[in-house]
Amino acid sequence: MEFNLSTFVFEIINFLILIWILQRLFYKPLLEVIAKRKRFIDQSLSEAKNLKLQAEQQCSLYENRQKLWDQEKQSAITALHRQLEAERKAHLEKLNADLEQERQKANVLLLKQQRELQQQSEKQALLNGAKFAGMLLQQSAGPELEARLFTMLMDNLVTLPEACKLCLTMFGTKKSVPVKITSAYPLPVEMRLQLEQKLDALINSQINFQYHQNNALIAGLRMDIGAWVLNANLQHELIGFTEIGYESD
Amino acid sequence: MENEFVFSIGPVVIATAVITTWGIMLVISVIAWLTTRHLEMLPGKLQTTVEGIVAAIDEAISAVAPEHGRLILPFIATLWLFLIIANLIGLIPGLHSPTRDLSVTSALAILVFFSVHWFGIKTQGLKNYLHHYLSPSPILLPFHIISELTRTLALAIRLFGNIMSLEMAAMLVLLVAGFLAPIPILMLHIIEALVQAYIFGMLALIYVAGAIQSQHLNPPE
Repeated sequence: MEFNLSTFVFEIINFLILIWILQRLFYKPLLEVIAKRKRFIDQSLSEAKNLKLQAEQQCSLYENRQKLWDQEKQSAITALHRQLEAERKAHLEKLNADLEQERQKANVLLLKQQRELQQQSEKQALLNGAKFAGMLLQQSAGPELEARLFTMLMDNLVTLPEACKLCLTMFGTKKSVPVKITSAYPLPVEMRLQLEQKLDALINSQINFQYHQNNALIAGLRMDIGAWVLNANLQHELIGFTEIGYESD
Repeated sequence: MENEFVFSIGPVVIATAVITTWGIMLVISVIAWLTTRHLEMLPGKLQTTVEGIVAAIDEAISAVAPEHGRLILPFIATLWLFLIIANLIGLIPGLHSPTRDLSVTSALAILVFFSVHWFGIKTQGLKNYLHHYLSPSPILLPFHIISELTRTLALAIRLFGNIMSLEMAAMLVLLVAGFLAPIPILMLHIIEALVQAYIFGMLALIYVAGAIQSQHLNPPE
């Protein structure tokens, strides 16, 4: 445990030199680079904070824009729905109108078809009726029926309308008037005489009587005086039924 | 354990401790130069290590003297680095710790003594610095002076005594116990060397910080 002054002094000097060297070579550059890095980190942090702030602002901005877009989109959707509803309503009304029109047309057509069918049925019924009546009358016809029809003809000649009487009077201007009398059965002489007397009373001219027989008349007579025809037979009556059916068309 | 002298130039004697100190200075300087040649913003492993050492020392100093940490950092950090290497160098066969020499520890203690006053005066001015010797009462001035001297003496003796006794114990165990037995003692040597370096540096830091902050502790009336 000796104390040496030279060592003491040398150590003081050595240590001071060591401090100087380390200050120049070690502490100063290291502390500078640490400080520089700290500044860089602080700057980076500051920039990051600024970026974060900007990002938050942008985020807020875009969120607001998103909300506005959503509102606009909702408004557009609502307007579109409203327009679609109006269009749908208009189309529906038009469709209903068209359907109503078509329904009316169909009803009219159906009514027409029904009416035609009814008319056809009526006509067919009349034809059938005439046919059946004709068949029935052919079976039940006979001289008695013809005699009654002759009587009815004679009565009709008495009660002729004035226009018919005037027409028969007009035949008096001619020299000879042909009168064609057609009967379903052979006309007896008595009946012929009654008929000729009656017609002579009505026509002031010479009358040329011609007698014919036609079974198609079924029963009764037909008189052709010039263009004038007087029917008192069943065939004519049955044809009258049929004509009623055609006239109804 | 006598001091070994290598050579002398007239009255100036160059001891082994001085040579070892020069060697330590050379090693520290070369390492410092090598590690700080190409400092980069993105540090490698070596740069991270040295930056970690300096940052740890800076943090320890800032914890005690937050306002003047950068001012006293070179002195305190150099003390720590030098003492760690100086205390541990005795583990290398053929070499001895310079801190087992009372002249070396005394020089370091004297440096601490003067640096305390230097940093105190530099930060507060001479008048303000000297004022704290008279506070809280001028009667305490002799005690302050005695305290300054004794703590400086204690610094020197503590480090010298611990390192010298450590090396002596290690040598005795090595002589008595043979080859493998001293390994725990060598581990103890490492711990003790680190602890003593830490204690010396920390005490120096506290003394310097006390001198710097004496104005705050004892403001003039």
